[in-house]
Amino acid sequence: MNIVELDRISKAYDTKIAVHELSLAIEAGQMFGLLGPNGAGKTSSIRMMIGITMPDSGTVTLFGQPFARKDLTRIGYLPEERGLYKKMKVIDQLVFMGQLHGLDATQAKTRAHQWCERLQILDAIDLKTEELSKGMQQKIQFIATLLHEPELIIMDEPFSGLDPVNTQLLQDALLELKNAGKAILFSTHRMDQVEKLCDSICLIDGGRAVLSGAMREVKSRYPRNHVVIDFEGDNSFVRHPAVAEFKEYAGRVEIQLKDGADAQALLRAAFERAKIYKFDLMEPSLEEIFIQTVGRRVHA
Amino acid sequence: MREALLIARREYLERVRSKAFRISTVLIPLVFAAIFGMGALSGNLGGGVRHIVVASNDPVLADCTRIELLTTHEPNAGRKRDRSGQKVQLLVDVQAPVADSDLTELNSEVESKAIDGYLWLHVVPGEALPQATYVSRGSADFPGTDKMQSAIGAALVRETLMKRGVTSAAADGLLRDVELKTVRVKNGQSVASDTGKSFWGAYIMAFVLYFVVVFYGMNVAQSVVAEKTSRVFEVLLATARPESLMAGKLLGVGAAGLTQIAVWITAIFLLSASALGAELGQGGLAAYGITPLQLVFFVIYFLLGFFFYSALSAGFGATVSQESEVQQFSMVLVMPQLVGLVLMVYILGNPSAWPVVLLSLFPPCTPIVMCLRMSAMAVPWWQLALSLILMIAATYGVLWLASRIYRVGILMYGKRPTLPEMLRWLSYS
Repeated sequence: MNIVELDRISKAYDTKIAVHELSLAIEAGQMFGLLGPNGAGKTSSIRMMIGITMPDSGTVTLFGQPFARKDLTRIGYLPEERGLYKKMKVIDQLVFMGQLHGLDATQAKTRAHQWCERLQILDAIDLKTEELSKGMQQKIQFIATLLHEPELIIMDEPFSGLDPVNTQLLQDALLELKNAGKAILFSTHRMDQVEKLCDSICLIDGGRAVLSGAMREVKSRYPRNHVVIDFEGDNSFVRHPAVAEFKEYAGRVEIQLKDGADAQALLRAAFERAKIYKFDLMEPSLEEIFIQTVGRRVHA
Repeated sequence: MREALLIARREYLERVRSKAFRISTVLIPLVFAAIFGMGALSGNLGGGVRHIVVASNDPVLADCTRIELLTTHEPNAGRKRDRSGQKVQLLVDVQAPVADSDLTELNSEVESKAIDGYLWLHVVPGEALPQATYVSRGSADFPGTDKMQSAIGAALVRETLMKRGVTSAAADGLLRDVELKTVRVKNGQSVASDTGKSFWGAYIMAFVLYFVVVFYGMNVAQSVVAEKTSRVFEVLLATARPESLMAGKLLGVGAAGLTQIAVWITAIFLLSASALGAELGQGGLAAYGITPLQLVFFVIYFLLGFFFYSALSAGFGATVSQESEVQQFSMVLVMPQLVGLVLMVYILGNPSAWPVVLLSLFPPCTPIVMCLRMSAMAVPWWQLALSLILMIAATYGVLWLASRIYRVGILMYGKRPTLPEMLRWLSYS
């Protein structure tokens, strides 16, 4: 069953079209990457998904039912900007957020303690938010999002401002939730994280989906035209007609092939002239796909 | 509903637990005490003995003035008491006849605090009235300009009477003040009233309304902006409706305001019940000219005024992105209420004049002006009812408008919206 499904939703503000006929679906147990440059419409789309704003047209389906506010307690949302009450104690804050999502006070308190222990911030539980470091505030917010055990978790840039150790801690927590069958929507600029964590992606730009599908499938749509060769000897093969661009390092060259060029012909040419230790025909990274797709639209 | 109550509870606890709440609960009554006490106490500060000298080139006039000063000072109804409850003793010496050369000596006596002041009466031959000057260290000193003026006037009459052969005792009888009782009609009954006291209650209620509504109104605007800048809204909106957020905030802040008022009213009751307060407020609130009906309406008007102005504040707070911008808004909150305070004396004097009636029915001014009118007269029930209906309708309208602006505004950052933009917000879903 699709946990959330957007069907051709559109939203316009005054003169600007924020989202145009966007469709996407996230299944249970899926980690979904919503990508796009700044101002592409990611936040606008998320806001329609959780009823902060209503789409001008199109439909939002949550848990197999048309959008209804009562389902919002089954969703956890971590906005990009951190929103915590500065003067409130951590534990009071977490209990308040839990109660807003339908928990009773004792339940919220117990779970808050468990989570704080797990994310190693138990000693901060009686401090006020303003006394905490940015990273700690982030963890508190992360806990506030998950306290009510939502089935759909929406996280906007969840790892920004965290050190590698804490990033790993939160990533592990998210992967565990995913394996427990929660649907996770994950919005970020960090392509390496998306590549590592997400099963499916949707890249939006100018309010439209420009690229979407399962990660493998999306990547396979892009030709493998990036080659790394470790070699010794004559390097004249870099002037082969299949080569569009190259960067040469000591004993290694990185080559960008022309569109539709045959990598095997290049391998043969290199093989004839130099001693080849490694010939790696690489798939494009998500970052390259992102820059290529969005960049092309900017130029068009 | 559950969300709104949860939010109200959080807002309430945050305020009631704050230092600012404790400080203002204590400080605001102190400010009132200072304002109202100033006038009452200024003549009596220091207490004890006041020593003044009447100096004149006419010994008879000087002596008559002394007699009059001492009679007018004779306290009736315990009004001229200092804070310890002791009468201020007035000591009047006569120095006559004097010449201009004595001025220097008198001045130095005032400066060296040997005396508190001297009254210089210079009779110019051929003129009916003497030239009178009172010299002291302070500007408004005991026993007060009015007292001295009437004492000199009476002294002149006494002098003339005595010159025409009237005995001192007969002159006393002629110069005695007629005692004037003031009575006011309230709910068809004549009630003996003390004009001074009955308006005390009005002053206090008007100022409390003004302070509390402005204070908590600004507080609402500031906390909306704070939640906006800290992006707490983004989290809250993921489950709660903007309407619940606003309702919760207003309820929580309003409850905090009511708590504060309840603390003050309880304090007044306790104070007037205690021995210490017996002198200050005999008979509890009645001593301040406040009837139970007035108290009920005071709370109703406070609530309506609070919701009216706080809804405006919430709507406004949602349109700005920085706390510094909130200050510009304070004028909108203060001005209509200030009208009531500025016209206070006129309203109390003419509670049924038509401009006053209209003002009391104009919702932004209703709470303060109506409270003032109720102190001065028995306001016709239909006017009270109409004011409530208009106020409730206006408050409802403002709440509706503010909630539409609020729900869009809290998600908008950056540039302040223009009025046409805000009007378009009203149609957003």
